[in-house]
Amino acid sequence: MRRLVTKLVWAAFVIWAVVSLTFLIDNVLPSDPARMVAGPQARPADVARIREQLGLGRPLLVQYGAFVTRLVHVGPWHSPSGDAAHATCAALGPIHIDLGKSYQQRRAVIDILAERLPRTAMLAIAAVIVQSLLGISTGVLSAWAHRRALDRVIVGLSLIGISTPTFILGLGLQYVLARQLRILPVDGFGHTPVEHVLGVLLPALTLGIYGAASYTRIVRDDMIGLLRLDYVRTARAKGATEPAVVLRHALRNALLPIVTMLGLDLGSLVGGAVVTETLFRWPGIGAASVAALLDRDGPLIVGTVLVTSTAIVLTNVVVDLLYGVLDPEARG
Amino acid sequence: MRALGLFCPVVLMIAACSTPFPPPIGSSHPDETAPRRGGTLHLASFADVRTLDPAVASDDLASAMFEEIFAGLVDYDAQARIVPDLARRFEVSPDGLTYRFFMREGVRFHDGSELTAADVKRSIERALHPTTPNPAASLYDTIAGFDAYTSGKAEHLDGVVVEGQYVVAIRLKETDSRFLSVLALHPLRPVCPSAGDRYKDTWEPCGAGPYKLVPGSWDRGRSLVLTRHTGYFVPGLPYIDSIEWTLSMNRAGELYAFEDGNIDLTHDLGDAELEALRADPRWARFVSAEPDRTVDGEVMNTEIPPFDNIEVRRAVASAIDRGQYHSYKPESLSPSGQALPPAVVGYDPHFVGQTYDYDAALAHMAKAGFPYDPATGKGGYPRAIPYLLVRQGATEYTAQILQQDLAKIGLRLELHLVNWPTFLSLAYTRGAVAMAAPGWAMDYPDPSDFFESLFSSKAIQGEQSSNTAFYRSARVDDLVERARHELDPVARLALFTEANHIVCDDAPWAFTDTRRFEDVAQPYVRGFKPHPVWTFYTATTWLDRPGSARRDALGFLWSHPAQSLHTAARARLSGRSW
Repeated sequence: MRRLVTKLVWAAFVIWAVVSLTFLIDNVLPSDPARMVAGPQARPADVARIREQLGLGRPLLVQYGAFVTRLVHVGPWHSPSGDAAHATCAALGPIHIDLGKSYQQRRAVIDILAERLPRTAMLAIAAVIVQSLLGISTGVLSAWAHRRALDRVIVGLSLIGISTPTFILGLGLQYVLARQLRILPVDGFGHTPVEHVLGVLLPALTLGIYGAASYTRIVRDDMIGLLRLDYVRTARAKGATEPAVVLRHALRNALLPIVTMLGLDLGSLVGGAVVTETLFRWPGIGAASVAALLDRDGPLIVGTVLVTSTAIVLTNVVVDLLYGVLDPEARG
Repeated sequence: MRALGLFCPVVLMIAACSTPFPPPIGSSHPDETAPRRGGTLHLASFADVRTLDPAVASDDLASAMFEEIFAGLVDYDAQARIVPDLARRFEVSPDGLTYRFFMREGVRFHDGSELTAADVKRSIERALHPTTPNPAASLYDTIAGFDAYTSGKAEHLDGVVVEGQYVVAIRLKETDSRFLSVLALHPLRPVCPSAGDRYKDTWEPCGAGPYKLVPGSWDRGRSLVLTRHTGYFVPGLPYIDSIEWTLSMNRAGELYAFEDGNIDLTHDLGDAELEALRADPRWARFVSAEPDRTVDGEVMNTEIPPFDNIEVRRAVASAIDRGQYHSYKPESLSPSGQALPPAVVGYDPHFVGQTYDYDAALAHMAKAGFPYDPATGKGGYPRAIPYLLVRQGATEYTAQILQQDLAKIGLRLELHLVNWPTFLSLAYTRGAVAMAAPGWAMDYPDPSDFFESLFSSKAIQGEQSSNTAFYRSARVDDLVERARHELDPVARLALFTEANHIVCDDAPWAFTDTRRFEDVAQPYVRGFKPHPVWTFYTATTWLDRPGSARRDALGFLWSHPAQSLHTAARARLSGRSW
């Protein structure tokens, strides 16, 4: 329990540090968010008025102070509708989280994130399922067929998979599966559950194939070593079938590093698969963060970074704890 | 061998670039058929819409939608002339200080309420209120009482007077010959009573234009749907029942959807596709150029050496081979050596302005005190000149052409690639950048938009200076100021013509080209013609699509996925070629 509390305190510190750093970097960059709101051809007087309205004329420390005090604060249990002071807050009882309002969309950042996070989570989970199923199965096959033709083909393909950028892979899959074969949608999220599922397949395949390539290599290398160990030989000597030896005895131990990677990958993907979401018009956190960066939309940039860092830090904590459960040596 | 399989997608993708367009889906009726009502027009864009409130929008795509949703007192016709719209007629007082609008009676907003003069005043005050983040408010700074109202010192805008239920007058504090031009833009257009008299983030767009936003249909970053306003004040219009926009599309997706007939009209195709379409006799007549609205040029900061020397600037203007810029993007760029693009009223196609003349460029360099010998490569300006460019659009490539052209006269450019926000920040800041190419897109089709913003010393600021060359000319200032108050259109254009000549000679910009979009419409999109000012003006467009001609593409027909699946499967089984 104490270990868990320590980890959570560290996690909170890391998240605060990352968010503060983001706030600082965003504000010292040579760009003017007011100009981005007003447009490239707005007259100076209009840009100046918008800068004032956005509160960008205040000293940086004052802006940071206002941001931090609003980020987590105590507020009413139930804010009445139209309560301007808490209009951009997410309330967890009396604890309010306030990331402000997007400069460009003029909506609460919390609302934008709440709308997009489930979509990104859906894509992340689908991608992790694809990459773990594909990566583990090809890794096992490759180890089982060690130094045979199948092994060489799988190793070659995984090398190509690791080396191919997701946007090339995505465009290729889009062209073949959606454009030529027409068995999947080109892009988009859709409006019904069936459409969401159809829509997630191509981006999940893109991310999954890319991620699976490294899983294949790890599982293969681990399995090759494990299949030579004494306990595996003993299992064979006792008459266990080859599938039982490979899957029940060797694979179980080879999965430990994969659990770690899976957790970290899930955290990164929940933070947003920036390129893939943009390519497939998937309206998640990744696409929002790209738009926010291009627009210098400070509150939204900070919001997406908060989600990303929280997802990565928390999955790290979970993986650490899970590792202790799965591996008795780590527990000790 | 199997590894080759993974390359196939890439190979196919490359092959797709050279795949000819499928035959167009024809129209149902002969050309002379009278317009018919009905159907849904499908439009798409790579961009997104940030807001649909005309008082605060700054993006181009929103402007295309505003023309459908909001009607104004005046508007631009197909020749870019100002014509009455919500107003039946208008009159200008002899001193040019009062504009009186006599409004149509019985005009209905989308919510059914009647639009009166009081709504006009309320909408103008809402758009110009100090709490409204209006990026175009200062365009209207000649309205009497503007300063007091926008600074919060006055409760109402004195210059807008309701003189009757259907009569509204706008008084100016000084003559402003471009006033009607800016009034025809979207920011001050009347909005429904639901908008109230102060800007609110949560307001659902509602106006008196030919189409209304379907409540709840705007899915940010993804799509929105407009439907015909049955109470639109122009009898019989619009013809189309609804317009469905798909937003944030990537180029490939938009191209596929257009080829499949799931997008009916686009202007996002690249030069390669446009060349292919123009070369295809089946498609060529369905590609039409919008007027060139943007002027591009290499901007030289007249306060930073060596461009504080007029001869160096003239040398640059003479050294640029504009034909090479054009050859890079032949479908969307036209070589040009003057300050105005063709879409602007008063553009003179016979005025040559700056031209490529290598010998003259060398002579200007010698006059500037930096003689350069091309044979030995000796001489020229001794230091490298930083050139700021953004990593998007054509400038990444044209900058290299410029670099080579200027090297031939002894000017060495050092290219500095930055992102768009950084570019905007630095290019508009005094003393920050020696040379850059920001370009200028027409806000309204009047020369004042270009000369007041780009070449008047009033537009020079420490930060956010729209005069990015920091160019000062007493004569140009005088001409621009007189043009603002000159009410005789002929005399006014003469003033701008003189200003254009001076600017070309002083060369704060080396003008290079003008830019345009190319619209490609499916043959069944009838009555569509590029508008000189507005993008996708569709009030008079109608659809004549054969009922069974839709080529289903599963990825796009989100509204009827089951039907799409069924049709796709049936087509595949029957071996039909798409």
